[in-house]
Amino acid sequence: MPALRSSSPYDYAADREWAGTRGYPLFFAYLKPRNLLRIGLGLLIAVAGLVFCIWYSRNGSDPTPDSLVGLIYAVLGTAFLLLAGLLYSLHRRSRKSKKVIGGLRSALGWHMFFGLTGLALIFYHSFGNFNPRSGTYALYGLIALVISGIIGRSLDRIMPRLIAKEASKALTQDGEDRIEAISQQLQAIVEHNTQRVRGLTSSSASSAVSAAPERVRSAGRGRTLHGPWDLAYLTLEETPQELSRYEQSYRLVPDRKSPLSRPGALLPGAQEQMAALQAVEHAMRREQFYRYVIRYWRIFHILLALVTAGLVIWHLEYAASLVIPTLFH
Amino acid sequence: MRNPVLLHKTASQVQQELEACIGCNECLLACPALDEPLTIDVLNRETFGGPISAPVARFARSCYQCGACVPPCPVGLHRDAMMMWLKIRLYRSGEED
Repeated sequence: MPALRSSSPYDYAADREWAGTRGYPLFFAYLKPRNLLRIGLGLLIAVAGLVFCIWYSRNGSDPTPDSLVGLIYAVLGTAFLLLAGLLYSLHRRSRKSKKVIGGLRSALGWHMFFGLTGLALIFYHSFGNFNPRSGTYALYGLIALVISGIIGRSLDRIMPRLIAKEASKALTQDGEDRIEAISQQLQAIVEHNTQRVRGLTSSSASSAVSAAPERVRSAGRGRTLHGPWDLAYLTLEETPQELSRYEQSYRLVPDRKSPLSRPGALLPGAQEQMAALQAVEHAMRREQFYRYVIRYWRIFHILLALVTAGLVIWHLEYAASLVIPTLFH
Repeated sequence: MRNPVLLHKTASQVQQELEACIGCNECLLACPALDEPLTIDVLNRETFGGPISAPVARFARSCYQCGACVPPCPVGLHRDAMMMWLKIRLYRSGEED
């Protein structure tokens, strides 16, 4: 890959000129023929089941969940839901399936197909009869599970786009770490201002020294060379402190009207850099949050599947206690 | 399950990872988001810079950063971070337009 071995890591200017596929919309869908086939088949089963369910409710002899038709719906629905649960999990874990590119995506498509169609069949199985607690709870669990799957699938589309947006904020246009770039700029500002303050200090000190009258030196000389022998003696000459009060000197602390009195005036641009740093930190926190949402929603979906499986088993046990004695009679 | 971490990498890090890729296709075979045949050399070439073809763009948008591509890599690369770089490029191109 010769293009990758260039001296510059990433040529942003050249990248802007490309004419390929661009943009990353928040909502998008790719309907391949295989996906359309699955959607069509699922709709066909769901609509056919609904039509027959309505017809049987009006004209049938026993439109109840434990009738023959109701049990057929139940068996089909349970089989579909089992396939939804097992097919994708087994496909992910099997080594053979991974030898085909797109095989797992296809399995995920069938997982959604069986889940949605199975829920519809189980719903028809109830025939509008929600009296048994176990069956109603199992149905509620299935509805919640399918809704969580749909939400999860939507999050899988939306969240990575939001992550890309936040990650884009954390990188410079050249693709380098923005925090590092800001830190370098801050460091440059601090160094620049330190030199400036040093310059101010040394210039003021030198000017003070040059502007100091000769009497200071003479007073100093007098004080050090000719100290009074009598402790009660008070000199009438001005002390060095008094002299410095009267002399002309440069003030480092500006007055209130000076533009230098504004906060950050000695570090121009530092406030903006600090704000940019905080913005990048917020972006990184949001990126991490979006990743947590994706991950924990998947865990929530799996936990909900386990709870629903428990509710379905509870309902199957209840149904078996009703159906098995009828069969023996 | 490993903890989620900040997965975006800098351009130089992505470049290093792309150069280290041996092209074994294991990441693509383990990917549950890839819906069409795609070769690793095309993906690597278009990941870092230059025009992005429609299949690679579709794949980049479909990738949901599950990390299933990381464990199978025999040289320990992070294909999810490379895909994030591709996503960032697509996102920025959309912002410019």
